[in-house]
Amino acid sequence: MRIEIIHEIASSLRNNKLRTALTGFAVSWGIFLLIALLGAGNGLMNSFLGNMADFISQSISVEGWRTSKPYKGFKENRNIQLDQKDVDYTMGDDWKGIIENVTTTTSSTSVTLSLGGHTVNGWMSGVVPEYREQNKVRMAAGRFIDPTDLQERKKVIVISRHQAKELMPDNPEGIVGTWISAGSISFRVVGVYHTDESEFRRAVNIPYTTYKGIYDSSDKIESITFNVNGPKTLEDHKAFEEEYVGALKRMHDIAPDDNRGLWVMNGYTSNLEMTKAQNILRIALWILGLLTLVSGIVGVSNIMLITVKERTHEFGIRKAIGAKPGAILRLIIAESVAITAVFGYIGMFLGMIACQVMDKTVGQNSVNIGMEEIRMLVNPTVGLDVALEATLLLIIAGTLAGAIPAWKAARVKPIEALRAE
Amino acid sequence: MALIELRDINKTYNNGQPLHVLKGINLNIEKGEFVSIMGASGSGKSTLLNILGILDNYDTGTYTLNGTLMKDLSERQAADYRNRMIGFIFQSFNLISFKTAVENVELPLYYQGVPRKERHAKAMEYLEKLGLTQWASHFPNEMSGGQKQRVAIARALITQPQIILADEPTGALDSKTSVEVMQLLKQLNQEEKITIIVVTHESGVANETDKIIHIKDGIIGQIEENTRHDAWGGPMMK
Repeated sequence: MRIEIIHEIASSLRNNKLRTALTGFAVSWGIFLLIALLGAGNGLMNSFLGNMADFISQSISVEGWRTSKPYKGFKENRNIQLDQKDVDYTMGDDWKGIIENVTTTTSSTSVTLSLGGHTVNGWMSGVVPEYREQNKVRMAAGRFIDPTDLQERKKVIVISRHQAKELMPDNPEGIVGTWISAGSISFRVVGVYHTDESEFRRAVNIPYTTYKGIYDSSDKIESITFNVNGPKTLEDHKAFEEEYVGALKRMHDIAPDDNRGLWVMNGYTSNLEMTKAQNILRIALWILGLLTLVSGIVGVSNIMLITVKERTHEFGIRKAIGAKPGAILRLIIAESVAITAVFGYIGMFLGMIACQVMDKTVGQNSVNIGMEEIRMLVNPTVGLDVALEATLLLIIAGTLAGAIPAWKAARVKPIEALRAE
Repeated sequence: MALIELRDINKTYNNGQPLHVLKGINLNIEKGEFVSIMGASGSGKSTLLNILGILDNYDTGTYTLNGTLMKDLSERQAADYRNRMIGFIFQSFNLISFKTAVENVELPLYYQGVPRKERHAKAMEYLEKLGLTQWASHFPNEMSGGQKQRVAIARALITQPQIILADEPTGALDSKTSVEVMQLLKQLNQEEKITIIVVTHESGVANETDKIIHIKDGIIGQIEENTRHDAWGGPMMK
């Protein structure tokens, strides 16, 4: 009987081409739009959020800033300077097992870099090798400060690509290995890092120990950076930040509600919030997609209703010559499933092609978002699993859409069905 | 025991106003008979045919077909009995338009679960019997009325039913074709001993049968033995 019903469906579909085509179009169109929409959405998310992830490291950085509120007899606009006490507190027993990999940078000094006749301003600080990873510094040429530099207090310097271009316009990357002057002291350039157009573009880095030896023998510190181990959720991370920063505020007599006394960059919460935003965007896309799919389903059920109506007489004939109600039910549902499955697959296939076309055309366009050039769409595709799920959903919906009219048709008495025209 | 036994069959339609259509029908039809049920429109003859064909139910009384009581059947049972015991011939042929002649003839066997090859062979056999071999792969709209009705007859015969019910079988045909179709039914009755019941309002058609049952206002009137017709017509089948 399995094969028989396939023959029945095939002949019925073949002989009702217009109806088959219309139903099929509704189904294909629904799936096609869903997949194209999800593909474009994924592309946008990959592009913007994916690019941003490059700049956000999984770490927390704290720097001294300037108070905005008077507190404990101090006026507002007081500069806050971190020092060794803060580092000791951070590395202390209070946060044992939670705070890891604490690194610091020295205070910073404004310097003028010069090479030949070219000069450029820089904001110099001493750093440790871990700084690179924790701040996601991307090298354009050469290397970053390494442990040997630190140990031997080498006079080496890492500058931005922007500065390299000012100093050596013809061949910015070629500056690696060259000695340049920073104020009155000469440093050998060991690396050039990628410039974004943000405020950090003037930062130049030398080994922590070198800086302490030349510019600042005090225990002043520009920033403290560390990883945390323990908090998992966004709420946990926020609670941790509040507690830790609250303690630092007390040590520096900053008002608890003054958020300008310390500058805190929390990579964990930023990342989690970005993930949250990404999820919201994804849900919104799915809702849009499902609504599109609903219109396809309505199309199918609509046409199934009409189909059943106009075939009532035929069902009457079938019943008169011995078709049981179950046979009529099976016939209609099987037809509905066959149409949605075949055309759903076609729609899915075309949708995937559309995603590829988007990738090759719009996806290659770039936009400048201030920091750097990024591609409009990155990998605007939908996973095969999602596509198959959507198609399966439509097939199930198509079955249900066919089931109600089919059930009605199966229940009509044969003489009533035969009278219908 | 008669093939068909109707005992005090009553049927009332309730469409707003109750309409008592069959008012106590008593009727016996023996195996191998060729009878016609004749009456004006509204006499209840079509309702009677629908009850005989288990297409409709009745309110009171009993209907026994080949020893089986046909009462309070489920749709499934009714479909099964229709399929195995009854062959239908309709005024408007009732062929499925998107199926070829042979596919139409095969359909009752499809619902019996007969394998495709077997039922195709059998359908071809019946088409040949009715002289339609070369029309087997044609669609109904490519055939004349007489040809369509012969396809319908082949479809009715293929399950080798106990009875053939023909509802105004010549109603849509011209007079020449009408005669041919009636001759064909007569021949099936004589040569294959099939019980045939024809419902008609035309006395010319009724006259071709052996027995004419007159129905009027929901009750059976005169039952007329008819022997005259044997004088005319000869075998048309090969």
